[in-house]
Amino acid sequence: MIEIKNLHASVNGKEILKGINLTVKAGEIHAIMGPNGSGKSTLAQVLAGHPAYQVTQGEVIFEGQNLLDMEPEVRAHAGVFLAFQYPVEIPGVSNSYFLKAGLNEIRKSRGEEELDSMQFLKMLKEKMKIVEMDPSFINRPVNEGFSGGEKKRNEILQMAVLEPKLAILDETDSGLDIDALKIVSSGVNKLKSPKNATIVVTHYQRLLNYIVPDVVHVLVNGRIVKSGGKGLAMELEANGYDFIREEMQQSA
Amino acid sequence: MSNEIHHYTAEFQEFQQNGATKSPSWVNDIRSSALAVFTDRGFPTTKLEDWKYTNVSPITKLPYHYASVVSAVPSELVSSLFVDGIDQHLIVFVNGHFSEEHSKLNSLPAGVTVKNLISAYATHQEVIKEHLSKYATYNENPFTALNTAFINDGAFVHVPAGVSVEKPIHLLFISTGINGTYVAAHIRNLIVAEEGAKVSIAHGFSSAQANTNLTNVVTEVVAKKESVVEIVKVQRESDTAYHVENLHVHQYHQSNVHLFSLAVGSAIARNDISIIIDGESTECNLNGLYITSGAQLIDHHTFMHHIHPNCPSHELFKGILMDKSRAVFNGKVYVEPEAQKTDSKQTNRNLLLSDDAVVDTKPELEIFADDVKCTHGAAVGGMNETHSLYLKTRGISEGSARGMLTVGFAAEATQKIVHPVLRQHVDKIVVDHLRKKFGTANLPDIVHA
Ligand SMILES: Nc1ncnc2c1ncn2[C@@H]1O[C@H](COP(=O)(O)OP(=O)(O)OP(=O)(O)O)[C@@H](O)[C@H]1O
Ligand SMILES: [Mg+2]
Repeated sequence: MIEIKNLHASVNGKEILKGINLTVKAGEIHAIMGPNGSGKSTLAQVLAGHPAYQVTQGEVIFEGQNLLDMEPEVRAHAGVFLAFQYPVEIPGVSNSYFLKAGLNEIRKSRGEEELDSMQFLKMLKEKMKIVEMDPSFINRPVNEGFSGGEKKRNEILQMAVLEPKLAILDETDSGLDIDALKIVSSGVNKLKSPKNATIVVTHYQRLLNYIVPDVVHVLVNGRIVKSGGKGLAMELEANGYDFIREEMQQSA
Repeated sequence: MSNEIHHYTAEFQEFQQNGATKSPSWVNDIRSSALAVFTDRGFPTTKLEDWKYTNVSPITKLPYHYASVVSAVPSELVSSLFVDGIDQHLIVFVNGHFSEEHSKLNSLPAGVTVKNLISAYATHQEVIKEHLSKYATYNENPFTALNTAFINDGAFVHVPAGVSVEKPIHLLFISTGINGTYVAAHIRNLIVAEEGAKVSIAHGFSSAQANTNLTNVVTEVVAKKESVVEIVKVQRESDTAYHVENLHVHQYHQSNVHLFSLAVGSAIARNDISIIIDGESTECNLNGLYITSGAQLIDHHTFMHHIHPNCPSHELFKGILMDKSRAVFNGKVYVEPEAQKTDSKQTNRNLLLSDDAVVDTKPELEIFADDVKCTHGAAVGGMNETHSLYLKTRGISEGSARGMLTVGFAAEATQKIVHPVLRQHVDKIVVDHLRKKFGTANLPDIVHA
């Protein structure tokens, strides 16, 4: 589904990603873990197309297309979705207007019929059940005044509505209470299919008990330094990142 | 004597003979002293610090003539400007002249007076004499001097002690062009809320058509002890017209004042808003939103005067600038030595939607008390990249994202309006205006948290 090859990216002249290689196939869930500041969100933002990050080397092939050549909204039309670590508040604009606008532009880009307000609302209410969100959120301004956990749930709601092929979840678990974590994880699992793929960025092995990854990657200082199965996450949980840093030193 | 001054002294003579007959003689004395100040000073130039960024010569060079005849406007126009479908308490002025035909004042609560100034002298001369021209002094602002020299009509609102007016009172000022004349309306308003009174006022300015009228307004507001007063100004005049207002509020002990200034109209608009917080534990909220496009210039000069201890004041002005338009924001906060525990916050944020738009923003804090919390901040920038990216990652196009974020930017200002009906009124005008300027119906209606 997506193939990231030797990706280098910098911001304000400072190199953050220093050669990322990562391939995710349809039907897979990949987890990315790594210390604070290692570049996980940067990778997510580069894949989404944030203009502040300059790609200096490498390429990203998504479904046979050169992702980095596409505008951010075109990437969304093609099926890439990013759940933000820090979801943005948009005062004044209702959640439903915002989501309907996004969904209809995606549908239009695929030559599908746009949904009218009735059809959209019906669908939205169904999707809200998946993340157990109260219907009162429909007419509230996007994320404004939402609690940290409500914002994260709203991200998953958006993913449920937009049905992306590749979802990148950047620390969607942080700030969630235990119940919300289960709800969000089960939401992600319900949306899982052999045709889509998920990249979850997380600090906690706990999440991976609910969303079981096929591969776990460790990102340190702009590079993926280790990849493994679910067990790798447990090892990290128990020992921290030091053992990886030691391994790196030994091999250096 | 310059040509400009000569023009206005001649005007004044004609006005005194023909236009100013219905007022008491003490008003005439005020007029004459104001004219003397005006002829002495003349119009402001950009050499004056207060007028540095706003060149008013396009206004001063035109031979404006006070509106000596009463013009008609269609009632469909008036009803299109209503605050809500009904607009229960409405007083309408056309080019500064009271229009009884369009006003609706029969459902006011007992004791509440909403009248035109000229007819209020008969019933409220004492109150008027006590307050008129006592706050908006004509010594400093030449437009105020000119307005005072030509005091004729305007709105008079009096809310007696302890009375609450639930529905908004709408003061609606319509300017209409007269062929071959540069029409000036020097509108004079007085709003008095007595002790413990509560009132919300829509303060609307519109044009009947594209015109080059000058609307020069002075509004004095007195908020007595423990009163609660909200004034929401909506200035949407023709973008070839000129608008000047000196809005002066004097508030007393434990009163609570909310002001909002929406400015989207006129070629040049200058708003001076001064609030004298004259009482302990007295709260003032001053907020605004300006949206400029084409070659418009909208200027807000605000002055918040803290005299006594324990008073909070909050000020948020936001601006959206397009094309080659310009905006000026100058926010002065003055804290007297006795005004300890003042808690004052001032913010001015501007969204530049064009590389050719210019904003001059200047906070001025003068603080003479030592135990205060005063903050200010000004920001000028384009669309936030991260916010924009967030929308685009949901499939939303560049253009729609821009529209939504602009609406959101405006909504952060309008949410400060307290009266829900007035807030809706302003929200609708803002979105309609942005739809017109963006050339698309595809903009969301504002919702608030
Ligand atoms: N716009 C920016 N300007 C300057 N530095 C930046 C910018 N964005 C990211 N960085 C830096 O890049 C590095 C990587 O940041 P990034 O947000 O990708 O880390 P992360 O792995 O997601 O961390 P966390 O686990 O704390 O979320 C950090 O050192 C950060 O300070
Ligand atoms: Mg991060």
